[in-house]
Amino acid sequence: MRRVEHIMGLPISVDLRDGDAALAERAFDWLREADARFSPFKPDSEVSRLDRGELTRDELTPDLVEVLSLCDWYEQSTGGAFTARVPGRGLDPCAVVKGWAVQRAADVLREGGATSFCVNAGGDVVTAGEPEPGKPWRVGVRHPDLADQLSVVLGVRDGAVATSALYERGQHILDGRTGQPVTGILSVTVFSDDLAIADTTATAAFALGRDGIEWAAEQEDCEIFIVDEDRRVYSSPGLPVHIC
Amino acid sequence: MKRAIPVLALSVAGLVPVWIYSPGAAHEGEINEAAAAPPAQTQQQTTAPRTTAPQTTGSAPKATGAAPKTTQQQTTQQQAQNRTVPGPAVNTSEGTVQVQVTLQGTKIVDVKALRAPNSNPTRMALPLLRESALKAQSADIDTVSGATATSEGYKQSLQAAIDGAQ
Repeated sequence: MRRVEHIMGLPISVDLRDGDAALAERAFDWLREADARFSPFKPDSEVSRLDRGELTRDELTPDLVEVLSLCDWYEQSTGGAFTARVPGRGLDPCAVVKGWAVQRAADVLREGGATSFCVNAGGDVVTAGEPEPGKPWRVGVRHPDLADQLSVVLGVRDGAVATSALYERGQHILDGRTGQPVTGILSVTVFSDDLAIADTTATAAFALGRDGIEWAAEQEDCEIFIVDEDRRVYSSPGLPVHIC
Repeated sequence: MKRAIPVLALSVAGLVPVWIYSPGAAHEGEINEAAAAPPAQTQQQTTAPRTTAPQTTGSAPKATGAAPKTTQQQTTQQQAQNRTVPGPAVNTSEGTVQVQVTLQGTKIVDVKALRAPNSNPTRMALPLLRESALKAQSADIDTVSGATATSEGYKQSLQAAIDGAQ
């Protein structure tokens, strides 16, 4: 079965090959809960209450502590290019919450007994098992210039693929160190075991601009596919490229 | 120096066909990846001390600790046909650098450092990347990775076409 819901401002597709609608609904329920608890745009969320000083660090749920520690780790690792606290704006851990919450939605499916599925949340993907015996999930990476073309296809069984890119006019990602829009890179794709890691690594690498190429390559358990402004591709030897 | 290793690796790689096999012993205090890992391994577990990303285990059970099977299978297939060629040791201002290239036929499938000075800048540069020109392709796929941040963007996206097709 396949369903698409719009949650956290994202189109989220669940392609479940061996589970029922009730199981998919549990995964969507978790995502709605994560949105309610961690959205900086909802005044009564835990994130908003922390930001207003209504909660201390000691009063936070373990989930938010985990999200914030991920934010802190990537902020330190990128020298502040990636940040959940842009000056002049409130706490915004969305860049971590998205991948983290979708990974956990995939965990909900697994715990419910599903062994073959693909979850795609706004272009960030978690897969399990195989769509057909002997075949991996074929995850196409969008071409940065051509919306209906791919730049590479990955063959993934149990894994996560995240892409950070600017395709749509007027979008921008700011470098947390300068407050200026990032230049130098068109698209960063990261393959890892876990979407929280893949997604945050992709976003953080993008925020670093050109320096993000080497930075991402150094990240443990991550394979990368990066397109720079000159349309050069940088890819890790371990990237699971699917030969079509 | 930070960029010198990948550049060096790639230019050395171009000379592969004329190389003669002459492995050099690693010096003490230097990174010797070949000694630490089987030479034909194409996984990227290469660099010496690296920071470890936090694990997101938390209260939810970890989905799977297993490495992706695709990569493992590819590695096994490649091991049968791969051959590794060590490059010459090159003296640089930071110390001696030597890379090893793994070939599948005439195609370079991996480049790793046999020897690299154990100083910060070069150590950080060691995960080697392949460089190529961007190509466009269309293919049968199950899903698309690539931001469709807005509803409008999603409506026009490949992923929407895939979702609608089933």
